[in-house]
Amino acid sequence: MQRTASHNADVAVVIKVALPVALGYVPLGLAAGIMSAKVGMDAFQTFLLGFLMYSGSGQFMIANLSMAGAGVFSVCVSTSMVSARQMLYASAFTRFFDTVPKPLSLWFFATVTDESFGVNLMRFQSGRWGPWRATGVNVTCQLSWALSTLVGALIGEAFDLPTTVASFAMTSIFVCLLMMQRFSVDKVVAAASAVLGVILCKTFGPSDMAILVGAVFGIVVGMLYRSRVEVDRGVEGRGEGR
Amino acid sequence: MSWTTYWIILGVCVCSILIFRTLPYVLLSGHTLPAGIQDGLELVPVAAFAALVANDLFSPARIASGLWPTLLPLLASVPVVVVALKTRSLVACVVVGVVVFAALSAIA
Repeated sequence: MQRTASHNADVAVVIKVALPVALGYVPLGLAAGIMSAKVGMDAFQTFLLGFLMYSGSGQFMIANLSMAGAGVFSVCVSTSMVSARQMLYASAFTRFFDTVPKPLSLWFFATVTDESFGVNLMRFQSGRWGPWRATGVNVTCQLSWALSTLVGALIGEAFDLPTTVASFAMTSIFVCLLMMQRFSVDKVVAAASAVLGVILCKTFGPSDMAILVGAVFGIVVGMLYRSRVEVDRGVEGRGEGR
Repeated sequence: MSWTTYWIILGVCVCSILIFRTLPYVLLSGHTLPAGIQDGLELVPVAAFAALVANDLFSPARIASGLWPTLLPLLASVPVVVVALKTRSLVACVVVGVVVFAALSAIA
């Protein structure tokens, strides 16, 4: 009996945490589905891609490039480059999964996105969070995304969703997740450098890599700043920003 | 899009993203990371979200198409920042962001 009660509580918590992200995925998933239909994918193909790849930016990239007439090779390379930033999220989560059974861990890591990374990491850091709940949040959001792309593909061209408005829902989530971080000077330095890195990369470099390049640039500059402060102060300041 | 094209794209893109998502865990799990790397990982959230925000707000294509398309997302994100700091609620941020963005697009 007690077990059922705590199980129900878990489900309620998972849904509460996942809801903002899952709802945000609806308009964007619809838009991605509509675009996938425009480049000739049927509803099943769109759903399968949405479910297995489970990446908004990736799915938009595939549709956009296909619409622009890009070849298979270039679609695959560009989309994979956009996905590369996932390595950062996985690295940040690993320390919370040292004692978790491998199958559950792999299920969790396979379903991490930009948005679910934010909501899960904050809760892991606060201590009151576990692998099952985190995976539950991921899978709830995944189903929301995949079903939204399916509906979008079924609606198809009959309905044109303003993609720019839909995608601002995700922008708002990123702004919120950024603002919810606990900032110290080194983190401000890292964030500002990441912004600079993205702007430079989108202006001069490979724009597909902008998020990864910008984030890594921010991390490196932030670490350099930390090490300089440590040299100035002696070793004492270490780990203070936590 | 032909079935062959679709399957190649699906296969490559699903495999690559699954590798990116799981490889760091497979390689790093169970190992104690050097302090320098752990320090760097602490900076991942701020750096990643700052990069994601910048990637959405800064677009050379929009800059080329004029001042208003460039300013619109920047203006719309101001109330989102305020709401985020005041409420710390993702839902409130999404609602305010989308409404303000749609309203600003409508008056343009």
